Amino acid sequence: MHKSWMKRQSRLGYLFIGPNMIGVLLFFIIPAVYSFYLMFTDYKFMSPETHFVGLDNIRRMLNDDLFGVALRNTIVFLLAVPISMGLAFIVAVALNKSVYWQKTLRALYFMPYITSGVAIAFVWMLLFQPTSGPINGFLRGIGITNPPGWLSTTEWSMYAIDIIWIWFMLGYNMIIYLAALQEIPEELVEAAKIDGARPWQTIRQVIWPLVSPTTFLLLITGLIMTIKNFGIIQAITQGGPGNSTTVLSLFIYQNAFRYYEMGYAAAISWALFAIIMVFTVLQWVGQKRWVHY
Amino acid sequence: MEKSIAANAKPTAPHAPKGKFRMESLTQIRRIILTLLMSGFALLMIMPFIWMISTSFKSPADVFTYPIQWIPSSLNWEHHIKVWSGADTFATYYLNSLKISLISTIGAVFLSAFAAYGFARIQFKGRETLFLIYLSMMMVPPQVLFVPKFLMFEWVGIYNTHWALILPGMFTIFGVFMLRQFFLSVPSEISEAAFIDGAGHLRIFFRLILPLAKPALATLAIIDFSWHWNDYENALVFLIDKDLYTVPLGLQNFILENNVDYNGMMAAATAGIIPMIIVFLVGQHYIIQGVAGSAVKG
Repeated sequence: MHKSWMKRQSRLGYLFIGPNMIGVLLFFIIPAVYSFYLMFTDYKFMSPETHFVGLDNIRRMLNDDLFGVALRNTIVFLLAVPISMGLAFIVAVALNKSVYWQKTLRALYFMPYITSGVAIAFVWMLLFQPTSGPINGFLRGIGITNPPGWLSTTEWSMYAIDIIWIWFMLGYNMIIYLAALQEIPEELVEAAKIDGARPWQTIRQVIWPLVSPTTFLLLITGLIMTIKNFGIIQAITQGGPGNSTTVLSLFIYQNAFRYYEMGYAAAISWALFAIIMVFTVLQWVGQKRWVHY
Repeated sequence: MEKSIAANAKPTAPHAPKGKFRMESLTQIRRIILTLLMSGFALLMIMPFIWMISTSFKSPADVFTYPIQWIPSSLNWEHHIKVWSGADTFATYYLNSLKISLISTIGAVFLSAFAAYGFARIQFKGRETLFLIYLSMMMVPPQVLFVPKFLMFEWVGIYNTHWALILPGMFTIFGVFMLRQFFLSVPSEISEAAFIDGAGHLRIFFRLILPLAKPALATLAIIDFSWHWNDYENALVFLIDKDLYTVPLGLQNFILENNVDYNGMMAAATAGIIPMIIVFLVGQHYIIQGVAGSAVKG
């Protein structure tokens, strides 16, 4: 009786999960295995012959100057994450209790995150226009006679991308911080006030430590989200000028679909996976240590 | 002891309201200042949107005037007309995007709900292992999958068709994960009562759990739809023909072909963003709840 019940349960379980499992198998698991295989081949799209090359692609990657450039650009790109989080924390604290129109303001800050995509990337492209765009117009207006060339120069292009990304992520980080702030017991903040703590001290010594698990979570998920993204950069600069905005994820795309070096691209994509893996392990370890209340 | 505190407190009582009043008006002033400050910063945040819409109505000569002309001196509709007419019209891109986003989203919500129910509510052999495999797939970046998917789609013959976006779009691991969390939070007594009444899992799923999960389903639907609508990367990899283009690709195409027509570019960008602004205004509550909930619970 029990055994047949278990059997029925199993059948039902797979009935519910089955349809989804087929898709996950076809569009995630099989491609992942296939890509793992491609990493060890010199596969080029449309080329008649493919050879097993062992670790050649990984060796090539480690000796590829462009890989180094892409890695450096990626690190600069990732800098946007903590900066955006810092700003978001300030906004969240300000919006949490001490302003009017809280809901409207919250929606306005969040808007870039939900509406953003390639469309808004093109708007930023014009905003950053070096000779007469609004941003440099403003900078000249306040007395900076020689404002940066932003997306058209190799020195500034990555920072311009960072600014767009900070703007994009701010609302997301703020929403999560707000949710965390709302879970802080009122009494703790009140107690600090009664003890004579100034608002600034309360934020630094009471609120900031209490949201540290959220900060950690946001940092890791933000880094992962950022390192995977290439749409905005591909749309505005295609990695240029020069290779100044070629980040790792874009570098993979270019190798695969511009040069059709698909075996090589697969190898770099697994390097990207390895980095994400490191972040994820950090998150597992960190979650155990940091969640302390 | 208690009595003495009460006795001590009493004489100061008449002063208290006055002090409290001063404190309160002070915090009120502080609150107004902070509100103004935060509103100013919020305005800065949405400035790109305002600039985009305003530029789309300007005349070409006014695009880069400084100080910025926020309200165009005359309303020029011709840029919007250009975007919506001709051979490469945004009407085609809209229809394509709408078709892909809607079918993908509906499929994704149902398929995720089914799987999530299985993971959350049915005990069976291999469930935990299977769920671990799902979770591990969340770590695999799309860049790993692009090349093999491209080769597979080529081989099957759905490359350069909308199916290349719709079919994979119907499967979201995030969706399964999110709905599973929700189903786990529904008390088991509810379904146990139904079991005793002789209902099976299928009936419980459709009659009990799905109606209860409406807010969670709505959240997933809105977030998923916005992903599909904004999805540029997949369309870039899997579509070539112009008449198949989605809005992001159409936009890119427009900008490549009209790279000095700044007004037209902003009219096109407006066309791309307006639907998302509408979705956001309508579904704001669900979106914010969903985003906040998904991350805090890990």
